[in-house]
Amino acid sequence: MNIKVVTKILDANDRIAGTNRRKLKAAGIYTINLMGAPGAGKTSLLECVIGRLKGSLRIGVIEGDIAGTDDARRIALHNVPVVQINTGGACHLDANMIGEVLDSLPLGEIDVLIVENVGNLVCPAEFSIGEDMKIMVSGITEGHDKPGKYPLMFRQSSALILNKTDLLPYVDIDMERFRADTLSLNPQIKIFEVSCKTQVGIGEFCDWLRLLR
Amino acid sequence: MPRCWITAPMHELSIAQSVIDLAVKNCTASGHTAIEKITLSIGSASGVMPEALAFAFEVIKKDTIAGNAALCINNVPISGVCCECKKEFASYDRYFYIFNCPHCNSAALSLTGGFELDMVDIEVE
Repeated sequence: MNIKVVTKILDANDRIAGTNRRKLKAAGIYTINLMGAPGAGKTSLLECVIGRLKGSLRIGVIEGDIAGTDDARRIALHNVPVVQINTGGACHLDANMIGEVLDSLPLGEIDVLIVENVGNLVCPAEFSIGEDMKIMVSGITEGHDKPGKYPLMFRQSSALILNKTDLLPYVDIDMERFRADTLSLNPQIKIFEVSCKTQVGIGEFCDWLRLLR
Repeated sequence: MPRCWITAPMHELSIAQSVIDLAVKNCTASGHTAIEKITLSIGSASGVMPEALAFAFEVIKKDTIAGNAALCINNVPISGVCCECKKEFASYDRYFYIFNCPHCNSAALSLTGGFELDMVDIEVE
């Protein structure tokens, strides 16, 4: 006997993501899924943003890593609410993991929740966690071929943060090609060139974040 | 010290596990006890490799009511319309690089298909 299913394979994840989204919306929280390769500078960007937005936006953070609490300890030094998820091997965060930790955060004291996904350019783009927006970080040291090699994440992100621009004199990267290939995949994407080390460009990105809510 | 939550390892098998969960749910809901075949539609731009999904499926189907099930994957092409020349195009090439319109070479493309990750139907007994 044949049974028509006609359902998205990740329907179960999408439904939990919907529950997370409603819960976060009800608390007045704007949620960002921050993605990028290991070492792109996701945590460094978070530290810059938290420092810059202190006093104007209350940030909360969920850190996702396969193992360890290094990132959460870094964020906790900035006195913002943070929880760490250890996926124990999984290459991405999924909606259920986020749903399990939401109650451990003081949702009433958060304006913007930033979820730092597991460092990976592939799987995080496939799993919705209930975010309002996906943002990706790419270090210029990763090379200008990344949009073509990992198109899904570039297509799904609303903003691309090109980090480590202080290293431009030392890196063979074609920034024009990086920008053009990214825009070819995703004409609406907003591109910010920043250096978390020198803070160049961080102010512009934070101004844009303030306008999201 | 921040709180740390530890979740169960899932590796890259998550999507195959979702396939089995969804098929089992639909099978048992109809009062049946075994799945013979599962048919999926996978878009060429979905980011999922059909070979890797099929391999993962074979590994984790054991000890489920899908233990003897065959997996049939329909590949769906990346398709869309060129914003410049307005012509339609389609490609099964999942290594499709950043691409240009095959008709006029414009990079301004509006993609309409190829992102599918769907279960079409299941055969049960």
